[in-house]
Amino acid sequence: MLALQEDYSVNEQESVQPEDDEQMEEVTQREQQPKPRGSIYDPIDEEDEEDEEDEEDEEDEDEAEPGHRRKRAKRRHKRHVVNPFIDVEAEVDTEEEEDEEEDEAGGDEFIADTGADDYDINRRAAVNARLDRRERELNDHDLAQIAQNLHERYGRATVRYTGDMNEVPQRLLMPSVHDASLWQIRVKPGREKDIVFSLMRKAIDLEYTAQPLQILSAFQRDSLPGMIYVEARSAQQVNQACKGLVGIYPSRGILLVPIEEMASLLQIKKQDLTVTPGSWVRIKRGKYQGDLAQVMDITENGEDVGLKFIPRIDLNPRDDASVDGRKRKKAATGISNLRPPQRFFNYEEVVKVYGRKQVSKRNQVYVFQNDTYKDGFIEKDFKLTALQLENVNPTLDEITRFTRGQDGAEAETSIDLSIIAEASRKAAIAVLQPGDHVEVFEGEQSGVHGVVDSINQDVVTITAVGVDIDGQKVDVPARSVRKRFKPGDHVKVMTGQNADETGLVVSVSDNVVTFVSDMTMQEVSVFSKDLREAAEVGTGTNIVGNYELHDLVQLDLQTVGVIFKTERDSFRVLDQNGQVRLVQPHQISMRRDSLRAIATDSEGHELRVNDNVREIEGENRKGRVLHIHQSFFAFLHNRDVPENGGVFVTRCRSLASLAPKGNVLKPGTDLTKMNPHVAGGATTGGMVGSAMTRGPRDRDIGATVAIIQGPQKGYIGIIRDTNGPSARVELHTGNKIVTIDKKKLYRKLPNGTLMPLDKPYNPNWGTQAQSRPPARTPNPYTQASGGRTPGWGGGRTPNPYATGDGKTPAWNAGSRTPNPYASDGGKTPAWNAASRTPNPYADGGKTPAWNASSRTPNPYGSNDSGSAWSANDGSRTPRPGWGGGGWDTGNAGWGNASPARPAEAESWTAPTPAAAPTPGFLPAQTPGVWNSAPTPMPTGIGGLERPSVGAHSAPTPAALGADDDDTSPMWLLDPAIQNKNVIMEIAGTLGGWRGGELDGVQGYVTTVFQSANDTLVTLNYLDPGRVGTNVQVPIRYLSPVNAKEVGDHAVPLDGTLKGIEVILRNQVSDSVWEVSKPSDFTSDRYLEEKLVKIHFFLYSGIFVWDVALSVGNLVRFKRPVGRVTPEGHPGYGGYWPEYRAAKEGDSRCSCPALNAMANHGIIARSGRGIKFTELTETIRPTYNFSPSFCSFVPHFAAFMLNKSYSKDTFDLEELDLHSRNGIEHDASLTRLDSAFQPKQGEKYVPYIEELLSSATGNDGSLMTIKDMSRILSKRRAESKANNPQYSLSFFHKMFGSAKIFGGRVNDLRSVLLDERLPDQWESRVREPYGLTLLAFNRTVLPVEWGIDESKWAGVTQREGGQA
Amino acid sequence: MASIPSQGKYKHLRACLLCSIVQQPTDFKKNGCPNCEEIMQMKGSTDRISVCTTTYFDGIIAVIDPESSWVARWQRTSKYVRGMYAVRVKGRVPEDVEVELENRGIKYRPRDQTDQD
Repeated sequence: MLALQEDYSVNEQESVQPEDDEQMEEVTQREQQPKPRGSIYDPIDEEDEEDEEDEEDEEDEDEAEPGHRRKRAKRRHKRHVVNPFIDVEAEVDTEEEEDEEEDEAGGDEFIADTGADDYDINRRAAVNARLDRRERELNDHDLAQIAQNLHERYGRATVRYTGDMNEVPQRLLMPSVHDASLWQIRVKPGREKDIVFSLMRKAIDLEYTAQPLQILSAFQRDSLPGMIYVEARSAQQVNQACKGLVGIYPSRGILLVPIEEMASLLQIKKQDLTVTPGSWVRIKRGKYQGDLAQVMDITENGEDVGLKFIPRIDLNPRDDASVDGRKRKKAATGISNLRPPQRFFNYEEVVKVYGRKQVSKRNQVYVFQNDTYKDGFIEKDFKLTALQLENVNPTLDEITRFTRGQDGAEAETSIDLSIIAEASRKAAIAVLQPGDHVEVFEGEQSGVHGVVDSINQDVVTITAVGVDIDGQKVDVPARSVRKRFKPGDHVKVMTGQNADETGLVVSVSDNVVTFVSDMTMQEVSVFSKDLREAAEVGTGTNIVGNYELHDLVQLDLQTVGVIFKTERDSFRVLDQNGQVRLVQPHQISMRRDSLRAIATDSEGHELRVNDNVREIEGENRKGRVLHIHQSFFAFLHNRDVPENGGVFVTRCRSLASLAPKGNVLKPGTDLTKMNPHVAGGATTGGMVGSAMTRGPRDRDIGATVAIIQGPQKGYIGIIRDTNGPSARVELHTGNKIVTIDKKKLYRKLPNGTLMPLDKPYNPNWGTQAQSRPPARTPNPYTQASGGRTPGWGGGRTPNPYATGDGKTPAWNAGSRTPNPYASDGGKTPAWNAASRTPNPYADGGKTPAWNASSRTPNPYGSNDSGSAWSANDGSRTPRPGWGGGGWDTGNAGWGNASPARPAEAESWTAPTPAAAPTPGFLPAQTPGVWNSAPTPMPTGIGGLERPSVGAHSAPTPAALGADDDDTSPMWLLDPAIQNKNVIMEIAGTLGGWRGGELDGVQGYVTTVFQSANDTLVTLNYLDPGRVGTNVQVPIRYLSPVNAKEVGDHAVPLDGTLKGIEVILRNQVSDSVWEVSKPSDFTSDRYLEEKLVKIHFFLYSGIFVWDVALSVGNLVRFKRPVGRVTPEGHPGYGGYWPEYRAAKEGDSRCSCPALNAMANHGIIARSGRGIKFTELTETIRPTYNFSPSFCSFVPHFAAFMLNKSYSKDTFDLEELDLHSRNGIEHDASLTRLDSAFQPKQGEKYVPYIEELLSSATGNDGSLMTIKDMSRILSKRRAESKANNPQYSLSFFHKMFGSAKIFGGRVNDLRSVLLDERLPDQWESRVREPYGLTLLAFNRTVLPVEWGIDESKWAGVTQREGGQA
Repeated sequence: MASIPSQGKYKHLRACLLCSIVQQPTDFKKNGCPNCEEIMQMKGSTDRISVCTTTYFDGIIAVIDPESSWVARWQRTSKYVRGMYAVRVKGRVPEDVEVELENRGIKYRPRDQTDQD
């Protein structure tokens, strides 16, 4: 029975599991087991599934006999399985007619049956037989049907594991061309897994939607960061799958993986990191991060590793005992910012701190806080993933510590170097170099030593030395050799914490070499692989960052320490508690100075740094005091002390001076007074000596700096503190203090320029030195007075500032300059620098600060600037005292001026050395006066009622051509004035800036900006020829244009209305105006000099437009217009595209030039739908206008037509919209006035004929300016007389005249009459930039000036009358 | 269809040593391994899960269409349910499973790519 039951159970499991019909069939057929129940119970199941549950209870109770079987059966089978007897009975009795009643009856019967134990073997055999028979019958049944039923019912059941694919060799699974491809996609590194999961979820989500994902799979490999692979038939499918996922970048390319590389993607093996008991690992995270640990055991699945390492038990736990007397919290809370040091577990210690209850002992193992401790080590399980298996590189120190064990007394010789030998051996191969002395330490050649000849991967060829194979070359595995050193070798450490140390080898034991360091005279043991022979003596810098060996450094608020060893980028520090710490420079908050610190030794003597002392207790060590901390701790140094580089810490009170001190205590001295601890109590004691100084104060502290790199780039702040290479900068913005590398900081000078922080800088002269351009103007005195003074004979002001590099402190410059006046240095104050100026009058130390300005090369002597001065300034600012251009006349002129000085002296607040009434004083004094002028607010100048003062305020310093900021209208920098469009004039540039080309040009100022060397002003031209363009003018060449007429708009430079636009209302006196704001009439009085005219915009747009269009209109050649038409453009070489006269319906305008372009097809022949941009591009090569012209025309055309320049198009006729101030105008030379001919595109031939016939130049073949003036005046007069609607603004005049400036009559005829470009016509002048506004203007103006309408008035009236 | 771990719960994923399917431990406990539960018997048994699955695996495959995917075929997971699979799983199934496989005449292939033929 038992066997039977077993069979059943197996069968039953199998029978209910099949997933599909085939499997079911297969299973049932293959296994020669009775398989009846499925079918037997099918009917029952079908009939009353609900009943199952009802009967469960009942069945649960009767487990007497078939209980064990039921245990393995699943719940839903219980009934069937449990009652084999019923089955049997049922089969026997009723065959397939079971029904509910019978079933229940069967149950009853079963219970009854179980009670009876008269079953015998025979009976069982019978049952078996029946079952067999039954099975045979069943086989005839519709198994598929059964399986189907089962599948429906138990569909979720687990599938039998068949492993059917395991038989196939992997190579047969290689991808074929029929398989889908793999596509590589870039993803955000770190998100690979997420994205693969997302793709899976997305595939499931979209499975039954209209657009299911068509990708087959996606995968990711840890060793291929930043990419995933998707299996799909096409890139399109991949793209679709990627859509909407974050962190996946299909845009960066979906790369097809070549079929031969597909398999290898899945075969990538990580470097197998095998962990074997005994190997070393490091702990990645947590309290023991970075600690070395030894593997003890590994769990079966390789996930957990049992480790042994040195514990870090907090022996000073925070006392968390709360008021309510709860137990101390676990040490977990103790993991604060500081982790406890490594320390072997010591039962007594721990018990002392934590109490006996916390520690329990089992066998040899202590259990404390759920960790087990054995032999002082902690033994703990870690996840493999939390361990660092590679690059463990245990140091000798660590291993020594490990092996030394708890007692620390075990001989160091027992270091099991084999533990780390493996690791070091691997590395050793890499460090071998030809020429190295090596020895073979294992294998056949063991013991052989020689010189490395060559290295080929893992095989080293060595030339053996000594023994019997001397000179032979031997190949040995690289791992079997090690570098060989012998005592007496001088070596250098290549890597590790002792890197760069050099020393003499004293002993060699296997691969550990011990040498005596040259630096510390201590023995250092290193692996031979880290050494090489070296002749040099290691310098091994003792300075890292800003810290040096034996510096006293502050580690945290409570801790200071002395650096006793510097390593490559860290220090070993012995703190006041005797603990050794390894600190990085950044962990040091500051260096401390204890030079002046004093303490009291055990005998009450004064103890100072550098005293030689001896301990009176303890080890009686001697030493020299390095530092004293808080009068209590003394850091001593003694080379003989082996530990910690000879540095140790002790208490001052336990020291005695070695050399008897002179100041033996006099009797009666109150010791308590000397002892800070006693005298002042604890409160005062602390700060005696060893104050919190930080050595020399960093000069950069307090400097205003700009950050030039990094995320805070551009921020400005103030250095609050510096620490080594980094500085703490308080940013102006956000009130934030950031720590930043000093290299990223530049000093920001007051004038806005930047200079590296490490450059010397003296704020006192920095601004001037930086901003002052080298003095370029020749020293005027040289010219004016013929080099009277040898000192300035060079013609250059010996101005130390001119060098600008700030190397010479300005103050004593006097002594270095070849200045005859330097002798008075003693008397002159700092500004004595002035004496460098060739100012002989600065002597006597009376020169006040202002005199400094006399450094300015005096412009007056210069002939150029002199004339400029008299021309510009003299004419504009009435200043009788100066006598106009009196400068050139020399001293006589000055004489006039001098009497005026004293009068103004008060308001200048000692501006000039005026007191010296020598005739020669003038040159000296002048600069002073002039200098003050540019200062935005000369004191007292606001006193408006004093015209005499105004007379000297000299608003036009720049006119003098002074090459110095001091004479420039620096008030332009005032934001109140800067954007007021003040009108300035360029002056003083003759022979200088731009060769004086722009001298006298006026313009209004839009922007002013300061660069490092200069202040540049953007001056927008006002003259018609250049309007709309601008020029950058150094501020020193600008002089203001003053308002001089009633109604002028102006800006006062000072006073209450400073920077406010005012209108001149009334002239009070010669140079004083009553002004008021445009909006109200409360008037104020201002000096004329203080009123700078401003540009008052009104028609400028139209003006510009007109001028610009006039250009397009006038293009008549003869006048060489520019370079040849460029290659590739219509008209190149004089061959213009076919000319076709305008047809009916074509659009033409009043401009023959544009019409001609249309007629030649350079622009649309219809003249319609022309793009503004197209016009820009075609005008230039066709007529060779300057680019400015070419862009103006269409730009303003677009503007006037209210269209978009970049998008819209226009028809030529639109340009003629008279009412809109288009280009068309009355009194044109080629068109009837619009009143007579609305279609301005139609030329008026008689006018043109008249124009052409009026040419007088070159026997009538050339039209001259005069001709044009004449004919134009006639036209205008006619127009005025005949056209009641005559309108011609000034601008129209301009452009009307521009239109016809001279040219060859023949060409003009062609253009004006036929609107055709003459064959072979081409510009003859090769000006590179085409016709400029300026050049154009020069032609137009004479024409305009030549017009005299009045001459024609009578004539035209007469003609009009005749008409 | 295996259960797909929800977002952000990828830390404690475990891979079945036999079929390399990747699931949350809770899913293994609740439903067992969707492919080889019959032989691994992990359902409801944490101990069993810890020996039959591992966290030490590398590479994750989203098998969306096991039947036609070459990746699944290469990994021999074509006949398995859809779900997440590991490319490589370190470790071997417990001994009893190995014996059982042997009894059934199934060749055991560790998932650590040690024997590739």
